[in-house]
Amino acid sequence: MWITALVSGIALGSFYSLIAMGFALIFGVTHAFNLAHGELVVLAGYVAYWVWKGWGLSLVLTFPVAVAALFCLCLILQRLFSLLREPLELNSIVMSFGLAILLQNGMLFAFSGDYRLIRAPVLTEGVHVNGLSLTYGQITLVVLSLVAIGLLHLLMHQTYLGKALRATIQDREGAALAGINVRVMGLVAFGIGALCIGLAGPLYGSIHYLYPTAGLQATLLAVTITIFAGVGRIRGLIVGGWLLGLVESAAVILLGSSWRELVSAVILIALLVFRPRGILGREEG
Amino acid sequence: MERAAPPKLDLRGPDRAIPVLLLLGLVLLPFLAGSSGYVLQVFTHALLLATLALAWNILGASGSVSLGHAAFFGVGAYGSGLLSLKPGLSPWFTIPVGGLFAAVLAVVMGLFCRRLRGAYFALATLAFVEIPRVVTDNWEGLTRGSLGLVGLPGLPALTLGPWRVEIGSSAGASYYLVLSYAVVVVFLVALLWESNLGLALQAAREEETAAKAVGIHVDRYRFLSLLLSACLTGISGAIYVHLTRYTVPGLVYSLHFSAVPMIFAMCGGRFTILGPALAALVLYPVDQFLFHPLLPAGHEFLYGLLLILVVLFMPGGFWGALRRSP
Amino acid sequence: MTLLQLEGLGKRFGEVWALRDLNFTLEEGEIVGLVGPNGAGKTTLFNLISGRIRANTGRIIFAGQDITELEPHEVCHLGIGRTFQSSRPFPRLTAVRNVLVGRVFGRGFRFWPRPDDLETAQELLDVVGLLHKAKTPAGSLTPSEHRRLDLARALATRPRLLLLDEVAAGFSPVAVKHAVGLVRRVQERGVTLFIIDHFLNLSLRVSDRLLALDQGEKVAEGPPPEVMRNREVIRAYLGLRQEDEDH
Repeated sequence: MWITALVSGIALGSFYSLIAMGFALIFGVTHAFNLAHGELVVLAGYVAYWVWKGWGLSLVLTFPVAVAALFCLCLILQRLFSLLREPLELNSIVMSFGLAILLQNGMLFAFSGDYRLIRAPVLTEGVHVNGLSLTYGQITLVVLSLVAIGLLHLLMHQTYLGKALRATIQDREGAALAGINVRVMGLVAFGIGALCIGLAGPLYGSIHYLYPTAGLQATLLAVTITIFAGVGRIRGLIVGGWLLGLVESAAVILLGSSWRELVSAVILIALLVFRPRGILGREEG
Repeated sequence: MERAAPPKLDLRGPDRAIPVLLLLGLVLLPFLAGSSGYVLQVFTHALLLATLALAWNILGASGSVSLGHAAFFGVGAYGSGLLSLKPGLSPWFTIPVGGLFAAVLAVVMGLFCRRLRGAYFALATLAFVEIPRVVTDNWEGLTRGSLGLVGLPGLPALTLGPWRVEIGSSAGASYYLVLSYAVVVVFLVALLWESNLGLALQAAREEETAAKAVGIHVDRYRFLSLLLSACLTGISGAIYVHLTRYTVPGLVYSLHFSAVPMIFAMCGGRFTILGPALAALVLYPVDQFLFHPLLPAGHEFLYGLLLILVVLFMPGGFWGALRRSP
Repeated sequence: MTLLQLEGLGKRFGEVWALRDLNFTLEEGEIVGLVGPNGAGKTTLFNLISGRIRANTGRIIFAGQDITELEPHEVCHLGIGRTFQSSRPFPRLTAVRNVLVGRVFGRGFRFWPRPDDLETAQELLDVVGLLHKAKTPAGSLTPSEHRRLDLARALATRPRLLLLDEVAAGFSPVAVKHAVGLVRRVQERGVTLFIIDHFLNLSLRVSDRLLALDQGEKVAEGPPPEVMRNREVIRAYLGLRQEDEDH
């Protein structure tokens, strides 16, 4: 039973990291908290569901559609966030809170509160190794998130764009003085974020049930992992995601699934109180 | 730049007309509404939301944004509900006690979140709701879990000499009770901002470092404003539960009761006294009478949209902007 | 009597010592100027005294009491007031209410305002020359009016010792003359003054003594003419170090 928990914990954790990636990048570069991040993931899931159901696209084809839709949406969001005044972090939380409510109700209107699922039977099939069963869905999650993290890490450390992004994350003013266009960096961050969200959404819709109010939990998870990893640290996102996934799986076994949300909440509060700059990251000066 | 005066209940000029007229209208409402019980119900709920918005703003105007006030609402609701159900105590007693339970929860929150500011405090409050919610949901022995509490006693009767009013069974009487409570809350809030505590909270909100440098114990006063805000929210929660006579965890701890009062406070005016209440009394009926019939699912998008607009274009709220103009 | 004693005071930020082993005493009734180039540790010293940051080594003794570990509001209650390098008025409060805050909370907490609180606040506004702007929101005032407001607010807390951080920075000669008058008026009220003055346009004129810092260490103390003739002080201001001279 514990091995199953380990596996599901890592798979779940990989999924969480994917969700967190977009959030962490956007927050790191623009310092805007997007509390509607989870809603965007759910929305991407709904978009995928819609084209799957309405146009008969296969699951794989829904990914590009979802990414494209989120791309457009994120561009609009970037403009909205750029209109905010100081204090940016607080104002962005409040505004995106309003956005989350707007999106939730929008999705409620468009898709009703019924639980929706993108049926892709291949994902529930799996392999059995030494009495341990792994579904293709879980394998996809782990592989996809590792690939995404790997690519992101490559981008951030081996390309000029990545260096510019990292500079902006570390010190916006300094980066601007060094000639980096921080506004464009913000756009890039939202763009990459849209990519991550667009990938996570359809996955969410095929592995979890979609319902309009699912977003907030996802956002809190993304925030938790981001704070744990420390702003701007990419590899920490995978570690954080896995840890969170494992802790949750353990909690489900020990306490039952209804205590899951309380455990996540306590972890987030503990991180906020004791280490807002991240556990893995170094303390700033 | 915001208006000079501290939030004052001293209403001069056009400021005076609107709240007074509104109060008059509210007092006369049961007679104006005639036979429509629905109108009365909507405005009763609007008044309750007004008290929630006012209570939220005690913390809001001190500079802290809470996204999880439903925690206090729910604890007050369940506290009062349970005490009135099992030991069978009178709601006159259990409603204030509900407020007390909420205050105790605020003490716990305050102890952990004392040093948190701004966005991080907001996040903590958002997560914090889960704690009482999940506990309530799972402690089935005490709270019947997700089945909720049903058959709660309604608002109790009021006996003044030979005159007895069964408030619980009369929509009109319930309405006047909630209206009176709302007026009391308005005066409490006004009193707070006139006092030195209010001055300290405003100073701490404006410039925390300078406030400390002139002798204000910022952490302690913020804590006090949290307690006050939580207590009043809990009392409102208790009243709510005796109005509807039933409750489930998913309802009283829902995002609705965290978000809507906060949105009313921000739309009305974070730096005013009446703003939150006015927003509640205008927006909630508009939502219920206009948008709800049009969009039975998703009509609350209005609140989300208004919040976005207010944050971007009108941070002082509508009433705040109105009071600024000469 | 000795009002303020700094014993072996040191503060480190990461690897860098902003202030190192500082020993100094301040007598009641004095005006002492704190001078030195950028990064000398002047504002760090004020932050240590007022309780904004914790010292790594040493003690701060005020009127015989060890205040090293106290919080800013406690330090204020004991009688140390301060202004800030970039002034921090309460923008949405009127000028008079800004000063009122200092008056009401400077020595503790009272729930209800008292009638003479407002009078005192107005009187202090008059001392700094801002009475005509009493009902203006502080956010609408000019930067130099902000500095004067900060001063009035700090005075309202009834300090025995007032830490003034760059109160005359960037002032024209006329404005400096007004500032000198203001400082003397404050001294007449019985307040001991410790003034940071990077540009030296104020402290040379009003100070009884100067304390000169460079890179966190005391390089000189004494009457202004003597300190300003000190070779170390001159070198520090010109940015030269001992090593440079040996080449």
